Amino acid sequence: MRGKTRAIAAAGIVSLALVATACGSGTTASTKTIGALVVRGCTPQNELIPGNTGETCGGNIIDASFSKLVHYNSDTAKPEMDLAESIATTDSTVFTVKLKKGQKFSDGTEIKAKNFVDTWNYTALGTNGQQSSYFFTPIKGFADTQCGDADCKVAPKAEKLSGLAVVDDYTFTITTDSPTSNLVVRLGYSAFAPMPDAFFAAADKKAWAKSSLVSSGPYKVTTQDATAIVLERNTNYAGAYKGVPDKITFKIYNDDAAAYADTLANNLDLLDIIPSANLAGDIWKTDLKDRNGTKATGVIQYMGFSPIDTNWKSVDLKKAISMAVDRAAVIKAVFNGARVPATGWVSPVVDGYKANQCDACTFDVTKAKELYAKSGGYQGGPLTIWYNNDGGHKQWVDAVCNQIKNNLGLECVGSPTPKFKGMLDALKAKELKGLFRLGWQMDYPSIENFLAPIYGKGADSNYSEYDNPAFDKAMTDGAAAKTTEEANKIYQDAEAMLAKDQASIPTWYAQAQFGWSNKITSVKMTPFGTWDFTSIVLK
Amino acid sequence: MGKFIIRRILQMIPVVLGTTFIIFAMVFALGDPLIGRCGERPCSPAYAAAFRAEYNLDQPLPVQYFLYLGKVLTGDLGTNFYGNSVVSELAARYPTTLKLAVIAIVIEIIVGIGAGVYAGVRKGKLADNMVTITTLILISIPVFVLGSLAQMVFGVWLGWFPVTASEGDWYSLILPGIVLASLNVAYVARLTRTSLVENLRADYVRTAKAKGLSVSRTIGVHTLRNSLVPVVTLIGASFGGLMGGAIVTERIFNVNGIGSFIFRSISTSDGTSVVGAILVLVVVYLLMNLLVDVLYGVLDPRISNE
Repeated sequence: MRGKTRAIAAAGIVSLALVATACGSGTTASTKTIGALVVRGCTPQNELIPGNTGETCGGNIIDASFSKLVHYNSDTAKPEMDLAESIATTDSTVFTVKLKKGQKFSDGTEIKAKNFVDTWNYTALGTNGQQSSYFFTPIKGFADTQCGDADCKVAPKAEKLSGLAVVDDYTFTITTDSPTSNLVVRLGYSAFAPMPDAFFAAADKKAWAKSSLVSSGPYKVTTQDATAIVLERNTNYAGAYKGVPDKITFKIYNDDAAAYADTLANNLDLLDIIPSANLAGDIWKTDLKDRNGTKATGVIQYMGFSPIDTNWKSVDLKKAISMAVDRAAVIKAVFNGARVPATGWVSPVVDGYKANQCDACTFDVTKAKELYAKSGGYQGGPLTIWYNNDGGHKQWVDAVCNQIKNNLGLECVGSPTPKFKGMLDALKAKELKGLFRLGWQMDYPSIENFLAPIYGKGADSNYSEYDNPAFDKAMTDGAAAKTTEEANKIYQDAEAMLAKDQASIPTWYAQAQFGWSNKITSVKMTPFGTWDFTSIVLK
Repeated sequence: MGKFIIRRILQMIPVVLGTTFIIFAMVFALGDPLIGRCGERPCSPAYAAAFRAEYNLDQPLPVQYFLYLGKVLTGDLGTNFYGNSVVSELAARYPTTLKLAVIAIVIEIIVGIGAGVYAGVRKGKLADNMVTITTLILISIPVFVLGSLAQMVFGVWLGWFPVTASEGDWYSLILPGIVLASLNVAYVARLTRTSLVENLRADYVRTAKAKGLSVSRTIGVHTLRNSLVPVVTLIGASFGGLMGGAIVTERIFNVNGIGSFIFRSISTSDGTSVVGAILVLVVVYLLMNLLVDVLYGVLDPRISNE
């Protein structure tokens, strides 16, 4: 009896294996005929609601499946009209948005002005607790839609943004609190994507996004499970950014090395992250010969000055430390060349970028020593560079510290806090002296986004408490400028003020490394680190 | 036997309660799940407040635990921070982990016991030494080296097996299964050999031989059955361990099993998932141990469970 059971079990395993293999070959065959792409994916941290997604795993899927008023050019990041026919303003305060007619959601309903206004009101409202609500800050009435206290026990004064008004089915107006010349540039972020009526009708929005997500873009999500998120062509899509593949499978990988191995074997078509072991010595460029690329993305890393450290009153000292750091050497040794030395405070991918704004970002030991001697040195013990231990910063902080030690003779130690938030909390509590490492990922591709939120007085991310009235005035003037060119000029001058005061020590710009399979060519990555599905050519 | 099993199951209740409370306290008291959820900036207060209220994180720890326990009793392991029910997350992954564990156990039993018996009956001969050396090599190589190497050679270069096992079908799980089994194969082989060698010296074997029984019957039935008691313990414990997923192997081959799920949940401070998965693990492990204890009695009637 026992023997028999075993034989049956064994037969079961064999037959299951056969069935599995048959299925396997079936999928491969169909892959070629329908033009499906397999893309590296990871598990989204939230349900796929554009206004509540701030991380890249979910962001990549939302980017491919939702259209916004404007679309960022995949090479230059410049905004182009997408769902909008035109966005007009005379005073940079009242904007009239006209929509293209006949644009549809994936459920066939038309995209109307009402969808935008309802979505933005929903995302902004404090009690809805949406992650991206801060994107609506410039719109009039935003403050009234926020909770009265930190725990949201005091209800907001208003349910809706008073700055939004529907004119007719295809027209609505946006009124901002103060002039915002780059509003159009901001509108391409996924938090501004319209949601269909079905979203507002759903009682449980999270469940709706899991089971019956309807999107405004060229693709719609058809499957979301533990192993893959599958996107299929939205047959109702009438826009200009139609993707090449009929089907995109975001295959979930828990480990970058596994995704890399699958790309080597041509099982994975698009790989947007190269494991650091394969970056070393440019192994990946040999492994993925003629199918690899790099793209600058809108992220800058920098070191901020502690606001309670009196040493930083000396600009010469700040410049001396900045000039004592050989950025290129650190990048080569620690990041295997996967970063670009910073030459200013603004990422090169955005509109308004001007090269070489930071004169003290060039490595010059003689000059650094001279300035250091002139400043009288760093008083009160070794210089501490604070960093969070949950982001792989130890190696470069140690390398930078060594350079400061060797080039200036100033004792320097790297000191970790376990988590990023711990460091920010300690900073706010005025407990940290010295330098601290920070990063900034752009929200929208404008020079302003690298300046106002980080160096404006009282701004959310102004951890160094940089305070320069002339700089703040430039931010207001830039926002009120009539044209983008005029505004950019003002912002560039403001960036020069940062250079004069050495407001922080920019270290490097991020760069994405990517690879693809031998089934496709003409692969492009956008400055946001997402894929451009319109340019890919299937071999 | 029935009484024994019931008593053991009743003993499990305090164990399960104790372990879950310890895990629960550690997971929720230490990590703040809001860290890193909003990129390079802290989460907005409104988002944080809504998040904490949704997952009862604004309540004191004992209250959180009892709220959780209440749900567990109704078969609901809670909803994780990504809005999926933990039961569905586990259900999506357990079949894959089970398949992987079955493959690994089958290999352990066939290859491990086979090699052990082969070496045991040829004690001190060349074959015995070969088995000893091979198992020593297997024990010495860390599993991530073996895994990456096997993936490169048999997956990428030779193309015999799929490079990754994302879909979790039997064929793609064979290579990860072999890698996963390799270490335990070595232990099983060594233990079987030692145990067999020792029992071959026993009086009852001499009696069996003297009775004129064939060599295969002496070894296969009389000696092996007694020698397998420690081996069954080892295999049982190893199966319990495998059911908890194999973090390293699962990551190398991108197997969407319990191991990679727990790893991801821990690294993203997703407390509900961690506690839910571990609760299930504890129960599975306890049941495996019970099964092993029952098997003892079947293999060796001298060990009574009454």
